[in-house]
Amino acid sequence: MFVNLGWQGMGQGWTQGSQLKGARGRHMQDRERKTGGFVLEVTQLPLAEALKVEGEADPQRTVECELEGVGLAHVSVLFQIRGSRARALPDRALVNCQYSSATFSTGERKRRPHGDRKSCEMGLQLRQTFEAAILTQLHPRSQIDIYVQVLQADGGTYAACVNAATLAVLDAGIPMRDFVCACSAGFVDGTALADLSHVEEAAGGPQLALALLPASGQIALLEMDARLHEDHLERVLEAAAQAARDVHTLLDRVVRQHVRE
Amino acid sequence: MAAGFKTVEPLEYYRRFLKENCRPDGRELGEFRTTTVNIGSISTADGSALVKLGNTTVICGVKAEFAAPSTDAPDKGYVVPNVDLPPLCSSRFRSGPPGEEAQVASQFIADVIENSQIIQKEDLCISPGKLVWVLYCDLICLDYDGNILDACTFALLAALKNVQLPEVTINEETALAEVNLKKKSYLNIRTHPVATSFAVFDDTLLIVDPTGEEEHLATGTLTIVMDEEGKLCCLHKPGGSGLTGAKLQDCMSRAVTRHKEVKKLMDEVIKSMKPK
Repeated sequence: MFVNLGWQGMGQGWTQGSQLKGARGRHMQDRERKTGGFVLEVTQLPLAEALKVEGEADPQRTVECELEGVGLAHVSVLFQIRGSRARALPDRALVNCQYSSATFSTGERKRRPHGDRKSCEMGLQLRQTFEAAILTQLHPRSQIDIYVQVLQADGGTYAACVNAATLAVLDAGIPMRDFVCACSAGFVDGTALADLSHVEEAAGGPQLALALLPASGQIALLEMDARLHEDHLERVLEAAAQAARDVHTLLDRVVRQHVRE
Repeated sequence: MAAGFKTVEPLEYYRRFLKENCRPDGRELGEFRTTTVNIGSISTADGSALVKLGNTTVICGVKAEFAAPSTDAPDKGYVVPNVDLPPLCSSRFRSGPPGEEAQVASQFIADVIENSQIIQKEDLCISPGKLVWVLYCDLICLDYDGNILDACTFALLAALKNVQLPEVTINEETALAEVNLKKKSYLNIRTHPVATSFAVFDDTLLIVDPTGEEEHLATGTLTIVMDEEGKLCCLHKPGGSGLTGAKLQDCMSRAVTRHKEVKKLMDEVIKSMKPK
């Protein structure tokens, strides 16, 4: 897996990956607003042959990478202290997530990009995941908005959104307990499979979505549908957890590299 | 100190730069930001393109579907554009139904498609009176830093050049359409409309390709859509400060140069894609 990461304004990294991860945002240090994000794509192609970086020597350090891509997501995080105090909580920040998938992201054209049940459910799941990870006590009476835009869906959209949003939140400078790394897993023919593609998901076997806080090994969110025998649960969970930890190593490395730059 | 001055008196800050005939990001008054384009990255869409004008990022995805043609134009297909400015791209947009700016942009793109005849609608016909193609062109802005119309037009053009439609035959016995996914052909793009946007400062100065801040400080905007042979497809000047005829001519000549630049970039990208 490969991850390339960049900031808007300070630098940009663009790649397309076969795994659905992406986050972007701006570094606007406003008195009232702080936004941040990452442009990040993860691909499953081997790094050496997949990556072709074209750097442009201009003040904004635009780096562009072209890859054969299958999945793409965009996340932006907005952190605001603004007017309406009606919904503000007195002791912690409110986390608001919105999930939207582009009409051209799936094989069949989607009629309603947002506001439908699946998007709302996804938004809610993301919110629950991030409420567990963000240190909301440090920002009372404010709201953190996380917007996720899926450009291409090839399975594992929840996982990709979580990974991308983690980076976006980090880029915005919002304190978190730990990275939140997610991965999906399934069970086919006695084998536990990590990171299902769309075809594998459509096959109808049991699927598990796992969001993990890697350092402590705590599970932020675990969701499973379809029937699975309890004997197999351990294996599937382990497969997902291992994949999530791999993602964590990758994200960690990229973040450190970027901070150093 | 400069940052403080910029926050307190943004217009004065800009005027200082404009007096020296340059802009805060180092560009000349007639210079465009670095344009990058990436074609065909979204495999679920029939055609896709990503365009970046500096920080402004727009992605266009085209999906083709079947439709029945209308009775007064039985051999014409449809091209349906839609521009989406989600809260993701800028904090000025709220979630909910499309705001004014998104609707204006959608209408602008629809006008460009109609006026420039970028695709002959008859090319989209499969079986007159029964079946035609409808191309849904969805443009999503991923980062808003001014000059959205130029980026959208370019993204649309690039995406349409990338669209491959499968061959469809109507089976006479069953009257059903049979799609042959193995045989795909590119669309016949007849013209290449390219948009050039200007912002008017202090009623006199014209700058090309305004960023978000510049648009905010500008007293007026102007967008010119030019075709290959110097043919004007669309001129969009939504109010704002007045312009003399001479200034308009200057803008048009700049638009012609811009068209050449963009065409060159497009050809390079298409050429690099062909072997795939």
